[in-house]
Amino acid sequence: MTESFYFTMEATNGTPQTKAGDWSNYQRVLLPPIRDLHKLEVYEENGGYKALREVLANSDWEPSKVTDEVKASGLKGRGGAGFPTGLKWSFMPPVDPDIPRFLCCNGDESEPGTFKDRQLMEYNPHLIFEGCLIANYAMSIKTCYIYVRGEFADWITHMERELAKAYDKGYVGENIMGTGFSTDIVIHKGAGAYICGEETSLMESLEGKRAYPRIKPPFPAQRGIWGYPTTINNVETLACAPIIINRGGKWYAGIGAETHPGPVLYGISGHVNKPGVYEYPTGMLITDLLEVAGGMRGGKKLKALVPGGCSVPVLRAEMIDGVTMDADSLRTVGSMMGTGGMLFLDEDTDMVSFLRRVTHFYHHESCGQCTPCREGTGWLENLVTRIDEGEGNLRDLDLLLDLCDQMEGRTVCALADAAAWPVRNTINRFRDEFEAKCKPAVFATGGEVEAVVD
Amino acid sequence: MPQVTIDGQVYEFEGRPKLLQFCLDHGIELPHFCYHPAMSIPANCRQCLVDVGNPVRDRATGELQLDDDGQPVIRFFPKLQTSCSQDITDGMVVKTKRTSEKVQRAQRDTLEFLLINHPLDCPICDQAGHCPLQIQAYKYGPEGSRFEFRKVHKPKKVKLGPRVVLDGERCINCTRCVRFTDEISKSHQLTIIQRGVSNYPMTPPGVTFDEPYSMNVIDLCPVGALTSADFRFQARIWEMSSTPSISTVNAKGSNCYYWVRDNLVLRVTPRPNLDVNEYWLADEDRLDYKRFNEDRPVGPQIRAAGVLIHVEWEQAYQRAAEILKSVDGGEILFLGSAYATVEDNYLLTKLAGALGGAVAGYLPHVEPGHGDGWLRTDDRTPNAQGCQRLGINPIDEAVVRARFEAGEIKAVYVLEDDPIGAGLFSQDDLEDIPVVLHYYNTTNATLAVADAALPAAMVVETVGTFVSEDGHAQRVVPAKAIRGVNRTLRMQMGMSRTDRHATPFDRWYNESHKIDCKPSWEALPAVAALAGHAMTYKGPRQIMQEVSKMPAFEGATYEAMGLHGVRLQDVAEEV
Repeated sequence: MTESFYFTMEATNGTPQTKAGDWSNYQRVLLPPIRDLHKLEVYEENGGYKALREVLANSDWEPSKVTDEVKASGLKGRGGAGFPTGLKWSFMPPVDPDIPRFLCCNGDESEPGTFKDRQLMEYNPHLIFEGCLIANYAMSIKTCYIYVRGEFADWITHMERELAKAYDKGYVGENIMGTGFSTDIVIHKGAGAYICGEETSLMESLEGKRAYPRIKPPFPAQRGIWGYPTTINNVETLACAPIIINRGGKWYAGIGAETHPGPVLYGISGHVNKPGVYEYPTGMLITDLLEVAGGMRGGKKLKALVPGGCSVPVLRAEMIDGVTMDADSLRTVGSMMGTGGMLFLDEDTDMVSFLRRVTHFYHHESCGQCTPCREGTGWLENLVTRIDEGEGNLRDLDLLLDLCDQMEGRTVCALADAAAWPVRNTINRFRDEFEAKCKPAVFATGGEVEAVVD
Repeated sequence: MPQVTIDGQVYEFEGRPKLLQFCLDHGIELPHFCYHPAMSIPANCRQCLVDVGNPVRDRATGELQLDDDGQPVIRFFPKLQTSCSQDITDGMVVKTKRTSEKVQRAQRDTLEFLLINHPLDCPICDQAGHCPLQIQAYKYGPEGSRFEFRKVHKPKKVKLGPRVVLDGERCINCTRCVRFTDEISKSHQLTIIQRGVSNYPMTPPGVTFDEPYSMNVIDLCPVGALTSADFRFQARIWEMSSTPSISTVNAKGSNCYYWVRDNLVLRVTPRPNLDVNEYWLADEDRLDYKRFNEDRPVGPQIRAAGVLIHVEWEQAYQRAAEILKSVDGGEILFLGSAYATVEDNYLLTKLAGALGGAVAGYLPHVEPGHGDGWLRTDDRTPNAQGCQRLGINPIDEAVVRARFEAGEIKAVYVLEDDPIGAGLFSQDDLEDIPVVLHYYNTTNATLAVADAALPAAMVVETVGTFVSEDGHAQRVVPAKAIRGVNRTLRMQMGMSRTDRHATPFDRWYNESHKIDCKPSWEALPAVAALAGHAMTYKGPRQIMQEVSKMPAFEGATYEAMGLHGVRLQDVAEEV
């Protein structure tokens, strides 16, 4: 492990509130500061594919042991739902040589405010490949699909070029590194629909069908791509696998928040001075992250924060004191970690306009399969637009909340919930702003009446 | 046996039925749109939501957990479940809208959503009156609408193919039509295009929706989004009577309904029969109805001084009887018909036998390559199998021609067919030979040489039995009235809603378009009696009673056939 490019992190637990330890001295592992790391030769020089060689060549690494190590690391999915990855891997049925099984790497990153996977694809694609290969080994899978969002055309070409190199060097394909293990990686280009990021509709899309989410159960591990057992993980989640193998699950579990550990890519955007993707441990104080991102632009005050992509509940500025970026802490203030795509909004932001944009997105992206989502998302946008334009009525606010009730939990996939949550929470948390924009419900009495009173 | 509790009532079940189908089978109504028993379950309409709970079991022992009263503890799913996709398991407890306000509310909410962008043009919509969306909106929907915006606009009156027209705005995206072309007909000619609230079904670029089963999507469509190019705007549903019957365009015997208004057949729709056509009907069966309305004869005719003149039925029967009596029975060419019922063909064999002759056979109407192994067959007649089981085989044209050339045929008796049109004879051949013709349409080429022309009742006007290619014997009942009084037909007539619910003073009843024809089981005995060979059948039921004693028709009584027919035993075909 001495040749590794990974650096040991000393957790000093300096600041009392943060769960990220001595984060200011944190050494990046997902996106380390190495020039041209996306090139195979550079990646190899810096310890690339070492974890893969380790699990394939060392007979101590039974496939099940790899899964156990991932379980021990406490890694939770980075795609938004935060499901424990090792547990997900263990859902795969026992190996049957007659039944193909698949791994799918979900690179259909399209939630507004989320742009972390793209950074990995651009700067460290081989880490993704290596993660896929390790996962394939752990679950005895022969094919991995990397489903990449269609708009990422440049990154697809970029990854295909790097993947071809990895094939040439024998890291992927038949008889990898002479160990007898064979597996393929296929990069699939999506056609640009948010819904394809939902795991079951991603599988439909991959099969060449219209991307309508499937009913669960059966879950992908039972019936996935072409009806065969499938595991789907986010790009960033799979990229953690080589790190866990190299450093050990125990090391990984010690990074950041205890219940939600590991390094994580924070995609910080909005009205901050230095927006971008920042790699830090989980459990960072939101205030620290704001500081890292250079503070609010123009010295403005923070008004609201969306902590993990636009579908998670928005937080008012006064709610974020002492809150850290991990599932438990965010739950206490009624929000979620999501994808870690943090959107900071300053005091000049009109929350009604913000919500109008969000509802427009879900209206545009609803696949139209289920009634409540197909019809509800459009209605939500209509109502919020009307309020934003000053034509709304106070009763529209209650109707909006009612519609959220009518949508949540009544559809095949979670898009309806994702569309309803921001509406519900933005209205509940910024109701004053919405009311201010609505037409008054009680009108001032006319001049003549005043005259009589006088 | 495992049990499920639905609304407090306990039902036993076998296997792993889906909840919605189980409820429908047990007469528990659950509203739904996208579910169809023959197709995959997408659970996309979200209308059949129910509250589902399972008994809690101890993890270690697997024992049921009991509450203080000794009843199993039920844990309900946090979300409502779609009953169409829900497998029933032992001990499951289900609350439908009857016992759960939550479910009631969910169904009302879904209907509110379905209606916000649905054009409420029921007054001009073909589906109105039997529209699941309309019915359910009245039954379970909200009152009024809270939607104050412009509805989504989509393409209207789009011809998807020659026979199906789309109104995109009415579509509720249940995807039944798409699933039909994907899973049942496998033509893949429809798909959903656009996204979200703009979704609607459409053909892929460069494709026309012209498969031979395309019109099934019209019945599948739970709203008026897909309509028949042919029937569109022709009639309201409550003005028509629908009569369960079978289609006669091919030898499959597909079950159908004939929809009749003012004694005109306006459309044909499938009638489910899992032993024959399941839920489907080929387009050719549906487009067949015009021949029931058009080119129909105006009454019996006889030839006098070389021209056909209209006469009373008695005179026509008399002429037919005279022809039969004028020649030796063996010199009459009796032609059976694969278009006619078993009863009619049977009576023809009786008549021929009484006269000392025999039925020569029937004219085959086979079009090789037309069949597709599903609902279309090479044979374009409905009753070839029935004829064969009566011992009437397809005629050997060479033998008949040889007899004709040898002058052995002195008269021709044709039951409901067209020997000239079929090319057996030319018009000149029969110019000097007396011909008795039972016929359907004035387009019949043999009519030109007929000496006694007797209009025959078609499948929509008669009572009788047809045997399909697969040996399925099915009876038909009259869908429309004919002129004249026939008690058997009157008793079996289909009724429309107005027939049933209005009073005679409502003046809904219409005498128009009645055809002056007779079922051959009425005409043949009349001719036979005048020819001196009286038959004593009271009606087709009694005829079939007698026929069902033959081994080839064993069990095929009217009572046994009912609405779904009986499968006859295979018998070795006589050659």
